[in-house]
Amino acid sequence: MGVAYKAVQWNRQKFVYDIILLTTVVFYLFCFEGISLQFSSDLDIKGIWIRAFGSAAFILLHVILSIGPLSRLSPKFLPLLYNRRHMGVTMFILALLHVRDALAWYHDFGNLEPLVSLFVSNTHYTDFIRFPFEALGGVALVILFLMAATSHDFWLTNLTAPVWKALHMGVYLAYGLLVGHVVLGALETNTHPFLTLAVGVGFVWIVGLHLITALREAQKDGAPLFGQPAKPQVDADGYINVGSVNDIPDNRAKIAVIAGERVAIFKYDGQISAISNVCQHQNGPLGEGKIVDGCITCPWHGYQYLPDSGISPPPFTEKIPTFNVKLQGDQILVSAIPNLPGTPVAPAVIDQA
Amino acid sequence: MSSLDPQDEFFIGYLGVPPRLKRFLLGFIPILVLGALAFAFILPPLHFDQFNLGKRTKVPEFEGLLVGQPSPHLLVPRTGDVGTVSDFSLYLLSGTGKTSPKPEVLEHVDQWVNLKGTPFHRNHLTVIATKSAEPIEPPASGPTQPDEGSSLGEFSLSGEIVDGKCYPGVMKPGRTKTHRTCAIRCLSGGVPPVFVVHNQAGDQLYFLLSDLDGKAVNDKVLDLVADPVQITGEVIQYADAFVLKADPATYKLL
Repeated sequence: MGVAYKAVQWNRQKFVYDIILLTTVVFYLFCFEGISLQFSSDLDIKGIWIRAFGSAAFILLHVILSIGPLSRLSPKFLPLLYNRRHMGVTMFILALLHVRDALAWYHDFGNLEPLVSLFVSNTHYTDFIRFPFEALGGVALVILFLMAATSHDFWLTNLTAPVWKALHMGVYLAYGLLVGHVVLGALETNTHPFLTLAVGVGFVWIVGLHLITALREAQKDGAPLFGQPAKPQVDADGYINVGSVNDIPDNRAKIAVIAGERVAIFKYDGQISAISNVCQHQNGPLGEGKIVDGCITCPWHGYQYLPDSGISPPPFTEKIPTFNVKLQGDQILVSAIPNLPGTPVAPAVIDQA
Repeated sequence: MSSLDPQDEFFIGYLGVPPRLKRFLLGFIPILVLGALAFAFILPPLHFDQFNLGKRTKVPEFEGLLVGQPSPHLLVPRTGDVGTVSDFSLYLLSGTGKTSPKPEVLEHVDQWVNLKGTPFHRNHLTVIATKSAEPIEPPASGPTQPDEGSSLGEFSLSGEIVDGKCYPGVMKPGRTKTHRTCAIRCLSGGVPPVFVVHNQAGDQLYFLLSDLDGKAVNDKVLDLVADPVQITGEVIQYADAFVLKADPATYKLL
């Protein structure tokens, strides 16, 4: 959390995260070159580095795309999510170095500007096998650039989380383009079965992991795979029964879907409060967070909100919608209509008798 | 911030990693890192045509007859007893970039020259990235002109059109899809095209390409590089090389 923009709000976790990330990347690149040199001294070293940068970026993209769904399946992976944007920027830099070297090596020193040559040398845009795979990589690089350039919280706040999030979902389009770039480029030149297998397994892993996660999320929300979800019963006062207080561990929440939106219902200090499940920072799932120091704490980046107002503790200023809540016996009733972000709501007190 | 309930671990980035989670990460992250690094060891040996014999050689200058058609080349007299083999070796000529030799070099076509450049060779195909050429007197003894070349008949050959500069060793692999755009740049800049054919014994045969008038085909084959192509035409033995003479309009994409 922050009240002012800093390049990076460093802490020990981020240092450790970045040291492991960068050491692995640098070690990968030099191992790639060193192993190549073991086989021949008459190498096209530029070509080796183009492959090293490209393969490192592609492998890192698989790791990045796995972290989200893995974190949904188990909170054990949340530490990998914490600084994922540094991984994304690192991946973009690797892709940029791959493109820089490929442009210089394959397109410079000729009779066209390298960037022009990249898009007009092979014009078989309507032919699958002869398709100019370079263009796919070029479009993907533009998407990755937009994501890297807007990765800072400055852009997250100013674009608003939904717009920022939609922009950053572009990573899936970039991944699809890059799979095409690899399949129609490197795999057409190098038909070794291991490479085809590795790219295929990577693709199945990414798609399968996301499908499994989506199915589990749908199950948790009580949404059927096909058709409309059952409409919750709204009482005369406009409240919906979301279950018993006994279903919720202390300082934790249960998530209910009300009017198509997830609501986090927290139990703490013998009370119940309900707020939007969506963290204002990166739309993290607040209902999977915990009450820490009296504040709802987001599991993704530790953003905090007071449970009875949805406002971040001073000096922070984030606000999220709250929901009126009451109890009937041990049953929790939550208003079907949210309050404006930051509206104070008296918690429902659990009758200890 | 107060300490967290040890029975209900919860990771907050700015507070540190709880102990049970730390134990999980100490096991998982090394596996992840080693898994990624494994590709740095597995991928390099698998690279297609990465370790071929194409290489740069250290001979800085050559003396021979500069010829312009079908593509710029230098005919260098072979020394010693050449037996029934040609008296000349044929070296392709390119510029230092993706270009033909400079006009200052090509103005000496049909003259004997001292030519400076960087040679690359792969098997028996050699190209010289030419820097300069100075006219010299023809040798006092020995042949000063090669034979016209002798026809070996008409053949239908399948192979790949490559650019005669990258393929001999500047780039590896200097052919197939990933190199297509580079080859197009090279050929459109004037680098001699070469047709690479594998015979049934697995040997690589190289053919200079010429149209029916004996001229270069560069601009007519840009759409066919890096793909399997069949060319039917007259094969001519010329110096120690082959020339495949055919109308580029009849080249067939396989």
